Amino acid sequence: MTLVDLALYFGLLSLISVGGMPSVIPAMQRYVVDVRQWVTPTDFIQMFAIGQAAPGPNVLISGLIGWKVAGVSGAFVALGAMCFPAAVVAFWVAGVWDRMKDSPWRAVAQRAMAPMVVGLVLSGGFVLATPGNVPDWRLWLIAAVSAGAMLATKLNPLWLLGSGGVLGGVLL
Amino acid sequence: MNDVTPPRNLQELFVGFLAIGARSFGGVMPWAYRVMVEERRWITAADFTETVGLCQFLPGPNIGNTSVVLGKRWFGWRGSIVVFLGLVAVPFAWVLALAAFYSDYATIPLVRSIVIGVGAAGAGLFIGTAVKLGRPLARKPGAWVVAMGCLLAVAVGRVSLLAVVPVAAAVAFFLSKANKL
Repeated sequence: MTLVDLALYFGLLSLISVGGMPSVIPAMQRYVVDVRQWVTPTDFIQMFAIGQAAPGPNVLISGLIGWKVAGVSGAFVALGAMCFPAAVVAFWVAGVWDRMKDSPWRAVAQRAMAPMVVGLVLSGGFVLATPGNVPDWRLWLIAAVSAGAMLATKLNPLWLLGSGGVLGGVLL
Repeated sequence: MNDVTPPRNLQELFVGFLAIGARSFGGVMPWAYRVMVEERRWITAADFTETVGLCQFLPGPNIGNTSVVLGKRWFGWRGSIVVFLGLVAVPFAWVLALAAFYSDYATIPLVRSIVIGVGAAGAGLFIGTAVKLGRPLARKPGAWVVAMGCLLAVAVGRVSLLAVVPVAAAVAFFLSKANKL
């Protein structure tokens, strides 16, 4: 019942994916690599790379995982499960949020979420750059270079991904 | 800049988002801005920024939420669905095609190294994004506690996200209410 498992787990992750895909990458990796052993740690970072190199929101990596695990139907199920619950929340909250425009709770909630998102997105980057939980200075170096270049320049991220590929070809 | 015309019908909305999805190499948000604010003038820049700001803190992909919210505003639930389908249609086909193509070459060591390098650079982009989002919080000790707590729990302790998010949200909400954030 791979498809049902995928749908349930990704649907659950969708609901807690504050900060978007980066935040849930560690949980996704844990589930499909460590718990289910559907893919290997290096498979995972390669799928992520393909997702980054294509256009579109990075949530598409969930479709890739689904595809790898259960073919084309897996791709649709995984992508749908990752998107739909969060979309329903957004649909509903947008109305509430507008009505709460002057409520102090709105500011309290917004201030509370910000540091969480920072911590979770940071975790996503760290876990991705450490496949299989084994530190590799070469991957950390590539990640650090691209993070630094992103902060220091206004280059399209594709250039940074491309440079990462070159560095990977040379170092790895 | 101020005379904006929202999309007139669902087709126009769909085609607009199809264009965003198809062109969005390297990140969707800049393209969403270019198409909706600059080219088609569906929405003002200020309105766009405010909607994105709200969506950043909801679960789900930022751009996905933004499009669902805008689709709803213009055409109700039909708008949300049309927008979402338009946005992912082309990229989804791209991703599957790339993956199928790559699976033929994945056994070549050099190709693998390059792709893993791309992945590591992508991880770096997440780290850069986190630093960007974190800069305005740098002088708030409470924010450091929450952010570093999440990082240690998830990345080092490997605690399940299903436990980390509710606990962190409760702590952050408490700190925020006590004006520590």
